[in-house]
Amino acid sequence: MNPKNNLIIGIVIAAVVAMSYNIDANPVEFVEGIPNLAIVAKEMTEVELDLFGTAFWSMLETIEMAFIGTVVGVAIALPLSMLAARNLNRKLVYVPIRALLAATRTFPSILWAILFVIMVGLGPFAGILAIIMYTIGFITKLQYESIEAIDSDPVEAVSSIGVSKWQLIRHVVVPESAPHLLSQILYMFDYNVRQTSILGLVGAGGIGFYIINYIKFFEYGKAAVFMLVVLITVLLIDWASVKIRDKYIVKAQEGMQVKI
Amino acid sequence: MTLFSKASSTHSFSNLSTISTKTIIQMNDVWASYDAKNYVLKEITLSINSGTNYAIVGQSGSGKTTLLKLINGMMTPSKGQIRVDYQIPNTKNDKFKKSLSKIGYIPQNLGLVKNISVIDNILIGALPRISKVKSFFKIFPQNEINEAEKILHLVGLEGKRDRKTYMLSGGEKRRVAIARALMQKPVLLLADEIVSELDHVTAREIMDLIADAQKKFNLTAVMVHHDIQLGLKYANRVAVIKEGQKILELGVEGDKIVDFQSGNTSQQEILELYNTNES
Repeated sequence: MNPKNNLIIGIVIAAVVAMSYNIDANPVEFVEGIPNLAIVAKEMTEVELDLFGTAFWSMLETIEMAFIGTVVGVAIALPLSMLAARNLNRKLVYVPIRALLAATRTFPSILWAILFVIMVGLGPFAGILAIIMYTIGFITKLQYESIEAIDSDPVEAVSSIGVSKWQLIRHVVVPESAPHLLSQILYMFDYNVRQTSILGLVGAGGIGFYIINYIKFFEYGKAAVFMLVVLITVLLIDWASVKIRDKYIVKAQEGMQVKI
Repeated sequence: MTLFSKASSTHSFSNLSTISTKTIIQMNDVWASYDAKNYVLKEITLSINSGTNYAIVGQSGSGKTTLLKLINGMMTPSKGQIRVDYQIPNTKNDKFKKSLSKIGYIPQNLGLVKNISVIDNILIGALPRISKVKSFFKIFPQNEINEAEKILHLVGLEGKRDRKTYMLSGGEKRRVAIARALMQKPVLLLADEIVSELDHVTAREIMDLIADAQKKFNLTAVMVHHDIQLGLKYANRVAVIKEGQKILELGVEGDKIVDFQSGNTSQQEILELYNTNES
């Protein structure tokens, strides 16, 4: 390793130490706090099994919110990503759209949720709107990037037969970027389920509402039931998306034949 | 009536018998360049009659592909004149866009959409005839679907109708590309080294298929080849390009090869000229 690299690593470490001091982040407190964790962990083992029913229904509500949010968000994101792709549009079109989308992505979903709770009141609908906004910002970016990366050969060949721009998009660009899209939608749904689980913090519905309230009242055993349901659900969704990915996406890659 | 458009024009060809003698592509002293400094094509003058099978032969980097791109207007010349069916080819020109639907262009990499089925790739050739709304919802009129299925049969892929295109072999992919071009109901077919990566047997099958289609649909074909033997076997005329210039224009008359550029009929001299230029 050359001296220049050593210097850079030294500077980065010094910066971390200085910044930790500045914001009063003391590792000693972490070590001293470990026994507290043990208390929480012990209380968490005292689960109340009769809460599983409530946990199940609130998880279902969370999944429904994430599903609606993902589907509507993707439906809005797709046409937007066509307009934001540099290889399909003039600067006059894609620059303002990209700026707008970048602004959308600046807010995490929890901030969107607060905004929509003010707008439409407490409850799952505010959460769904927040998920939609976040999905639009995210999927559009992923999509216009994969549209910009598609093979230029079919685009060139098909535009040379005199088709209109929207025909080209519909019959070449969309099918060529579709394998990425399916994978992105799965990822987004997975991510949205986890996100929706915490939107309850600001009163935007879902299972997070229960978790935050039980934690507030130090009822860790009750909170644990809900957290366990979230954990199981996320694992199941993860397992299902791996299966779907293997079945449809890996095969769609050119020339690849996968037997599972 | 021009070959490409049904609208009446000053160049009127009222019956098909005159088409065989009509010049469909005319190039006069054409120069082309990608960077405005180095010319990839120089002093190209040629005329291609309707209904002929014209081959352009040369080594890699000799400017063959550029010549095809000039014909369908994907590139415009730096100097000189090109007329394709009396029009100046330019893909950016809306008027020429209508004619483009009558030029079947098969690039070297074929340009197929790999994630869709064979039949969907073929139907792309019909898009210029389909309304925007219908094509958005992928609704093709029944007669177009019937036509696509006829062409599917013609290229020998009837058993692979709904197969995804990326699953096909090299020869089959070329058949799909030919079928897409035929679906355009073209007047002119341009193909860039369509058989160069194939084994001899498959290459012959593909060339025979194009020859059959050419007769059946009365097409003019301009095909780029790497191999001069292939050009001489299938084409009426063979232009040999070297370093951007046309050095020979060969044709077979009886059992003799004639260089129409110089009028030379001495087989020995033609072969010598060809060999010295190829080496």
